[in-house]
Amino acid sequence: MTAKPETAPYRAAFTAHPADALADQRKSAFARFETLGFPTRREEAWRFTNLRPLQQAYLPGTATASKPDIAAYAFDGESYRLVFVNGRFAPDLSHTGALPKGVRLDNTAKLLPGHQDLAQSLLDDTDTAGGQGFAALNAALFADGYVLVLEDGVTLDHPVEIVHWGDAPDQSFHLRNLIKLGTGSRATILETYIGEGRYWTNAVTLVDVAAAASLRHVKLQDEATTAIHFGQVRGTLDRAARYDGFVLTLGSELSRHDSFIRYAGENAECGLFGAYLLRGAQEATNMTVVDHATPHCTTHEVFKGVVDERAHGVFLGKITVREDAQKTNANQLNKNLLLSARATVDTKPELEIFADDVKCSHGATVGDLDEDAMFYLEARGISPDEARRMLIEAFAADAIDRLEGEPALRAHLAAHVQRWLNVARVPS
Amino acid sequence: MLNIKNLHAKITDGREILKGINLDVKPGEVHAIMGPNGSGKSTLASVLAGRPGYEVTEGSVTFDGKDLLPLAADERAREGIFLAFQYPVEIPGVNNMYFLRAALNAVRRHRGQPDLDAGQFLKAVRAKLKELEINDDLLQRGVNVGFSGGEKKRNEIFQMAMLEPKLGLLDETDSGLDIDALRLVSNGINKLRSPSRAMVLITHYQRLLDYIEPDHIHVLSGGKIVMSGDKTLAAELEKRGYAMLDETAA
Ligand SMILES: Nc1ncnc2c1ncn2[C@@H]1O[C@H](COP(=O)(O)OP(=O)(O)OP(=O)(O)O)[C@@H](O)[C@H]1O
Ligand SMILES: [Mg+2]
Repeated sequence: MTAKPETAPYRAAFTAHPADALADQRKSAFARFETLGFPTRREEAWRFTNLRPLQQAYLPGTATASKPDIAAYAFDGESYRLVFVNGRFAPDLSHTGALPKGVRLDNTAKLLPGHQDLAQSLLDDTDTAGGQGFAALNAALFADGYVLVLEDGVTLDHPVEIVHWGDAPDQSFHLRNLIKLGTGSRATILETYIGEGRYWTNAVTLVDVAAAASLRHVKLQDEATTAIHFGQVRGTLDRAARYDGFVLTLGSELSRHDSFIRYAGENAECGLFGAYLLRGAQEATNMTVVDHATPHCTTHEVFKGVVDERAHGVFLGKITVREDAQKTNANQLNKNLLLSARATVDTKPELEIFADDVKCSHGATVGDLDEDAMFYLEARGISPDEARRMLIEAFAADAIDRLEGEPALRAHLAAHVQRWLNVARVPS
Repeated sequence: MLNIKNLHAKITDGREILKGINLDVKPGEVHAIMGPNGSGKSTLASVLAGRPGYEVTEGSVTFDGKDLLPLAADERAREGIFLAFQYPVEIPGVNNMYFLRAALNAVRRHRGQPDLDAGQFLKAVRAKLKELEINDDLLQRGVNVGFSGGEKKRNEIFQMAMLEPKLGLLDETDSGLDIDALRLVSNGINKLRSPSRAMVLITHYQRLLDYIEPDHIHVLSGGKIVMSGDKTLAAELEKRGYAMLDETAA
């Protein structure tokens, strides 16, 4: 098999990567990357994605001097915080305090040597034989990330806060994360991605939620508007497990968040929610792929998009209900507000149903701000600017409010939506 | 206070709806506007409040001596014009209290008054809620979301009471109210009557005018005021219907 030309610049980086416990798998993964190359628009999942910003190579580098500015993003409450700078764990900026018994929270690099079993679960067949080149590249090159493992029955009392700061020019950061929740355990994670300048964050997170365990997985993506961000989540939910994913997308020139969720037991439940607020020439894709392989599982998806100026928002939602997955309950909703005549949205909610006793629905809308609501607010003395803000905030809040039982996190996300709204807009 | 001269307005499809309205409203007065469905009553209220989608082609409107027409809707509201909507809009996700406080502070700033803090605001809200017998929990919802028809109308008057405008334009605030609510709302409106505040009530029913005695009654038909009189006109219309307009004209 010949290597695709766009993969060539990454070969030297791979060759230079120090060998570790995963050397064999990494080799397979890199070969996979070379075979696949970058996805093209002929692939359904990448049809709407413009990869032009990746024409230049972003090579993984050694960490450079950096001045992370994370104060404005710190979660305003207690948390176990790991900070990463340019793809590497920064212990001096982190504080995990005393973790409860039965909790392992570490950076991936620290775990790699000497923890064969855990190291092995950092990669799977999807990396070495799957269909996504960037995930394979991540598998070959990742240097760090976080690992959270909860033993059976453990409830983490505060959120785990992962902050990633990037500012090394033209570098790529391949992060590999692992979340493993034992039976009946519970955790909340807040991932924050921020930075300055041009760089590429390429993160892959493997999630394993055991029976009756529950994970809230929240991501705030506010990377520099000249940066690229790809995040992939691959999750497996066992019997009566619950996964709530939320992604707030504010940053990056080009970004994707792809969630792949597979049900491996009955009565599990998954919520995939998100809001994206885009302006300038930003492009952001949220893709969800949910595989109902077992009966009695429930999926809720709500994604709300606010797209201004020349920005481009994409929602790709796919739910497959297999023949045996009777009593599946699944719904998908994507609503978009276009704030300018040049803003565009592509939305494709999709259901593929092979079982006959299921409740499934999907819907998508693209529209303007409600004129009647605008006039109602203005008729009470509220300025058009403020009225707009109120309506946009309410629109995004509809997705944020789906994060049940996390008032502080909801407030945190709402505050960042407000911050986005406070940036003066360029009149179109 | 409000001076409308030969007002003509059309909607975006080009159809002329208002065809030469003349109306003079003085401080302290209450005017009632009646008239058949589709005659242009709501259009008049919309044009006065600055709703987009209407074009004034002729005539003038002054408010407190100022030309009203160049002002945007929100500026008119801050100048003291309040429109109680015939169909109040539901706005999911925008909390009632948050909305009302933003509106009140916008109006207060315009008047040179300081913002109300949360405590002061709550106190003012409580008092007015009680008068209009509005349930506290309605305020925790989105603006008008899940309100019954009558609750929406009461909410309009509640907002008017909070914002204390100079001129209230009440578009069919009595429609859809049960007998007790009508009394409540009428009392609320009567409490707001003052020598410096005027009201224009658009209504189909004499009953409202039994509670709120108007100084003048006008009949709007075909985009024009075709008849004006004192409070006795309502009873006459009630008896004879709008057919009397043709008889009078004939
Ligand atoms: N924005 C608009 N677009 C289209 N037509 C309109 C619009 N506004 C008003 N009209 C039309 O103008 C005419 C007058 O409507 P308006 O709502 O002012 O009547 P009204 O006197 O308030 O009637 P009602 O007693 O039924 O409330 C109607 O034929 C209506 O359909
Ligand atoms: Mg009307």
